[in-house]
Amino acid sequence: MNVLPDRLAWYIAGPALGLLVVGLFLIANQPLGASGAYVQTARLMRRHADTVRWRAWYFVGIFAGGAVALVLGTGIEVRSGYDSLVDQFSLPVATVIVFVGAIVMGYGARMAGGCTSGHGICGTAQRSAASWVATATFMASGVAVTFLLRLATGGDL
Amino acid sequence: MNRRLDVIGLLFGAGFGFVLGAARLHEYETIHRMLRFDEFDVFLLMGAAIATSLPLLWWLERRGSTTMFAGPLRLSRSKPQRHHVVGGVLFGAGWALAGTCPAPALVMLASGAGLAVVAIAGLFIGLHLRDRQVHTVTHGDGEHRELETQPVFAKS
Repeated sequence: MNVLPDRLAWYIAGPALGLLVVGLFLIANQPLGASGAYVQTARLMRRHADTVRWRAWYFVGIFAGGAVALVLGTGIEVRSGYDSLVDQFSLPVATVIVFVGAIVMGYGARMAGGCTSGHGICGTAQRSAASWVATATFMASGVAVTFLLRLATGGDL
Repeated sequence: MNRRLDVIGLLFGAGFGFVLGAARLHEYETIHRMLRFDEFDVFLLMGAAIATSLPLLWWLERRGSTTMFAGPLRLSRSKPQRHHVVGGVLFGAGWALAGTCPAPALVMLASGAGLAVVAIAGLFIGLHLRDRQVHTVTHGDGEHRELETQPVFAKS
């Protein structure tokens, strides 16, 4: 529908995210993280006794809120979502890379105790030294692995 | 009580997803370009989010604010340990390969990207593999936590 700009500027999106973080702490003493929502949603699906149900609603909310932003913005379109990765390799190879990457990412998030939002924004905003260390580490690691990918593909990716 | 928390969870999730989608953080290209240092918008976005929330939370903590549902505001601060670093290295490597992270992957799926299904499945598997190993109640500062002050969080 293009009611929204093609891309909301960082100086609007960033503070908006920051206010959401403060809001969830003020309401429920909880971080606006994402990896924990996966854990709780998986527990709910397995009917695990120790499940925090509202985190599953939160999980659904992220999907729904994203869908609303896209309908109002650049639109929803069926595609692979990984154009440059698929162009560089092929669809099957790109699928394997994404799958393996996501498993490693999930494992690492649970091990570190948070992800980009949990440690990267909520933990750092709580002035947690562990979160600052985890965030600096995954930033450095992400940049380093991206650089290695570039080297391996002769700078194409 | 639990119903109200469900609604709050849904609304905060929706707000989060909306911002991610509007800022295009769900796109592989956005994350890849950021990690390639082609553009700095995502770093600036995260910095602006921290610059907004950190001082506010600090001030709210100092004045002893009370939360709506969970007693006094309690921020969580841990000392860095080995698992933060090892987990961070793994997370960053996966982030670079998959070009998305847990919340944006859900928005990516909403945007119609087929491979987001693969990313989300991988995330569930990876998180579960580790969760199975550390089934004791260990929570990182960025994760959902159980609070003694509010037993409603322990079980739904």
